[in-house]
Amino acid sequence: MSVTEKVREVPAGAEAPRRAGRRRTRVTDEHGKRVRVWELALRYVLLLAVLALTVGPFLWQLSTSLKGPTEDIFSSPPKFLPGEPTLHNYDRVAQTIPVWDYAFNSLKVATANVVLNCVGAALAGYALARLRYRGRKVATLVFILAMLVPVEGIIIAQFTTMRELGLNNTLIGVVLPGCIGAMNVLLMRNAFLNLPYEIEEAAFVDGANTWQRFLRIALPSVKGTLAVVAIFAFMGAWDDFLWPLIVLSDPDKFTLTIGLNYLHGTFANDERLVAAGTIIAVAPLIALFACLQRYFFRGVGEGAVKG
Amino acid sequence: MASPSSTTAARVRRQLPTSPWLFAAPGLLVVGIFILYPFVSTVVNAFTDRRTLIPGEFVGLANFRELLHDEMFWIGLRNSTLYVLGVVPALVLLPLLLALLVQRNIPGIAFFRSAFYTPVVASIVVVGLIWVWLLDERGLVNSLLETVGVGRIGFLSDQWLLLLSAMTVTVWKGLGYYMIIYLAALANVPRELHEAAAVDGAGAVRRFLTVTVPAVRSTMVLVGALSSVAAFKVFSEVYLMAGPGGGPAGEDTTLVMLVQRTGTGLTGRVGYASAISVVVFVVTVALMLLVLRADRKEDT
Amino acid sequence: MRMPRRALAAAVVALVLPLSACGSGGDDSGSTDASGKVEGDITFQTWNLRANFKPYFEGLVADFEKKYPGTNVKWVDQPAEGYADKISADAAGGTLPDVVNVSPDLVAPLAKAGLALDLDKAAAKYKEEYLPGAWASHEIPGTEGTYAFPWYLNTGPLFYNKSLFKEAGLDASKPPKTYDELFDNALELADKSDGKVATLANVPTIEDFGRYGVELMNKEGTAFAFNDAKGVQLLSKYKELYDAKALDSQALTATPESSGKKFLTGAVAMNPGSALDLGNFKKQAPNLYKNIGITDQITSTGKVNMYVMGVMVNAQTKQKPAAVAFAHFVTDAQNQMSFAKKVAIFPSTAGSLDDPYFTEEDGTDETRVRIAAAKSLKNAVNYTPVLFSEQMKTELRNSVAKALQGKVSPKEALDNAVKACDRLLQQQG
Repeated sequence: MSVTEKVREVPAGAEAPRRAGRRRTRVTDEHGKRVRVWELALRYVLLLAVLALTVGPFLWQLSTSLKGPTEDIFSSPPKFLPGEPTLHNYDRVAQTIPVWDYAFNSLKVATANVVLNCVGAALAGYALARLRYRGRKVATLVFILAMLVPVEGIIIAQFTTMRELGLNNTLIGVVLPGCIGAMNVLLMRNAFLNLPYEIEEAAFVDGANTWQRFLRIALPSVKGTLAVVAIFAFMGAWDDFLWPLIVLSDPDKFTLTIGLNYLHGTFANDERLVAAGTIIAVAPLIALFACLQRYFFRGVGEGAVKG
Repeated sequence: MASPSSTTAARVRRQLPTSPWLFAAPGLLVVGIFILYPFVSTVVNAFTDRRTLIPGEFVGLANFRELLHDEMFWIGLRNSTLYVLGVVPALVLLPLLLALLVQRNIPGIAFFRSAFYTPVVASIVVVGLIWVWLLDERGLVNSLLETVGVGRIGFLSDQWLLLLSAMTVTVWKGLGYYMIIYLAALANVPRELHEAAAVDGAGAVRRFLTVTVPAVRSTMVLVGALSSVAAFKVFSEVYLMAGPGGGPAGEDTTLVMLVQRTGTGLTGRVGYASAISVVVFVVTVALMLLVLRADRKEDT
Repeated sequence: MRMPRRALAAAVVALVLPLSACGSGGDDSGSTDASGKVEGDITFQTWNLRANFKPYFEGLVADFEKKYPGTNVKWVDQPAEGYADKISADAAGGTLPDVVNVSPDLVAPLAKAGLALDLDKAAAKYKEEYLPGAWASHEIPGTEGTYAFPWYLNTGPLFYNKSLFKEAGLDASKPPKTYDELFDNALELADKSDGKVATLANVPTIEDFGRYGVELMNKEGTAFAFNDAKGVQLLSKYKELYDAKALDSQALTATPESSGKKFLTGAVAMNPGSALDLGNFKKQAPNLYKNIGITDQITSTGKVNMYVMGVMVNAQTKQKPAAVAFAHFVTDAQNQMSFAKKVAIFPSTAGSLDDPYFTEEDGTDETRVRIAAAKSLKNAVNYTPVLFSEQMKTELRNSVAKALQGKVSPKEALDNAVKACDRLLQQQG
């Protein structure tokens, strides 16, 4: 955009927004809707402010992980930029622990958790929101109660159950208790409830059965929430520490969070190593979110009534 | 659009009479076996004097009577309640504003969205470490405060400031989480509504109140319910900021911290901790009912 | 959404009906006989040693299997965090490994629950091989017997920051030797720095009371006694330090890690540590390392505090002879010595500390610290009573905090702590 346009925009923007209809700007979003320059500027200012708040703390961790072996990481006041940046610490993480094996285990657990949660929560959520049957309220209540159970108090009982099933020290045992999260079910129920009934009524008339209506009509309309469930499920499995620790005994089966805990040495703590481990643990999640984030937004317009 | 006649409804009902239960069955099974069934043993234990390695004997309401006289229990109840009051309003409102901020597709927005989600995905242990470092007596925040002449503040040594610091971390970490839930809901708000309001001359604030809020109201209720339950059960943030002992003289202990402290380890008093767990459960059920009732009242 | 009464009732019934969920590890042992052929498969669990000592333990296992053909040892290692939770779940679920690396506070409840093998019965012949103090550290008051082989020991000096001492006008070459000197120096440091430099970062723990000369428990080990005049005196001193900011203002919520970091950043002037920390300082805070001062642990009893690691045998193991033989093998003089040379810890076997490795100076600080520690270990004590549980530590800590804050008097605080700990002791059964 040219300077003159900007200049023209400023007095206009300062006026009451009721003249919005007459505004002339070249900056548009992808839907072709005009965006006012001052508004755009304000948005970026706010975005940058929030960015500093949310990401700032991690940059310090990143910086520590890049600091060389002779640098003082505990100087006061703290130094932000590494004096001699190096990737050596990441190398050392891989030398100290079989980080790729642990990451692979985590990936297996997290993937299973995502698939099972998406399928299970969508099915149950649909049943709670859409299907008329006796006991629906009881079923809803069961999920609500399950969500409210304070898990800190039941972990040993969960372990005992798992042992009775012969699933202790297996990755299946790690996945099972959270594989259909009550909260995810309720999120899906909420999403299905918000879908206008008219959409499905048309299919009713066309003679589509429950399964067909669910699969072809309802499910595609809640992709956004499904993406939310997916990322929550992935994250939950990826970050969980205590449960996998208790279920698993065999170090070959350890997940990444347990494995990275080995970096806290019995005899000495190496902050650089710990910081590098942290970055290794967070990076895949951020990457995953970056990939998935458009699904949260693709729903714009698409979730509205089609019929 | 045709409305379903009674014959269609009957036809549909005849089709797959068992399907609703089939749909819900996997979820009910998992939740029943791995969450509710273990919790039943917690409820049973609450009436025994069971220790981690010593099977308990039935003691009736003794654990609950002991709770009434346990100073720590009341401190925990106070702190968990304060946590709900402090954190929930912020978590209902701020993520919605944030969602509105990142909703529009402007250049570079994908980067911002992902960046805002970073605190959510980072493990709470890391987050705790970072914030302790920031708020330390000689940390970054205090260095800044000293330069602008405010002087140092004992964020990590005063019991109330500690609780406030932990709340800040909870809100900070929750922003992105609830932002996602709001985004999914906002996606369903037809753009035409906004445009119509804009044409009518409604300002941004009024559009927010008259278009956005009503459209995502059910989601706000959901976020309110989820965040109040989570806030009442807060553990990690306070544990990491205030230390395992729960702050100076344990004054920052929350109920779930108390469950963890009294009930875990080889010398844990499982019975007593279970009684606290039961109280936590009952309070959260009540909280949930309260939020949902408030929601229904607004409906009518 | 509404919750009809009927639904609620149904849920309540569903919740209460199956009342059978109680369970615990059953005792099917009874026999402590460890004679017989050493053979079979056993599992050996260590605590956070895999990352740095994998080759050592793989070698150890291989040596054992070679010495006793027909045995097969599976080595598993658990990370630092959550170890007590892991052991609790395994103990309650009956999945405890055959040979387990434990600390004394973990042994006590396991022994009382009958899950740890009594070595006075099963392995009495090995007793002579260990330092008497180390062997005794796994005796549990209220039970007859010793429930783990002593493994590695650790102790260390007191580190101090010379430049902070100098800035306060103190002689950096004359660190405090007694408690009185320590308290005087601390007050002076705080005074000279306007309360910006604290000397200590931690509130007194049970171990500090012990080192100060307080009787912690009665002779029978049935009740606590640290609320005597001496205990009150120590706490009153700390209160004085706290008021003068000679005890760090965040001490009430400090953990060993956080106080370690405070020392690294130069916010506190002194910190207890071990030979291991020297390497740590060198790597993490080179500036501090240049100014590091090393002095002896301060005690009023003449006996320094030590930390003991043990190796216990699961009383329910199916392969008792092999498990006992392996636990002994891990902790025998030869294997402890070679482990001690890998990392700065100390063997608990008799005579090992006379090895030239622990007696001959070579001019480096590391060696100097190691030799001093080895010398002090010969009569060192693990002051923390084995019966002192995590819950009791919290009680003591909170009472101490209340005294420091001035909410109660030191005497009252310790009386309360003793009362609470006695109650917990009884509840432990």
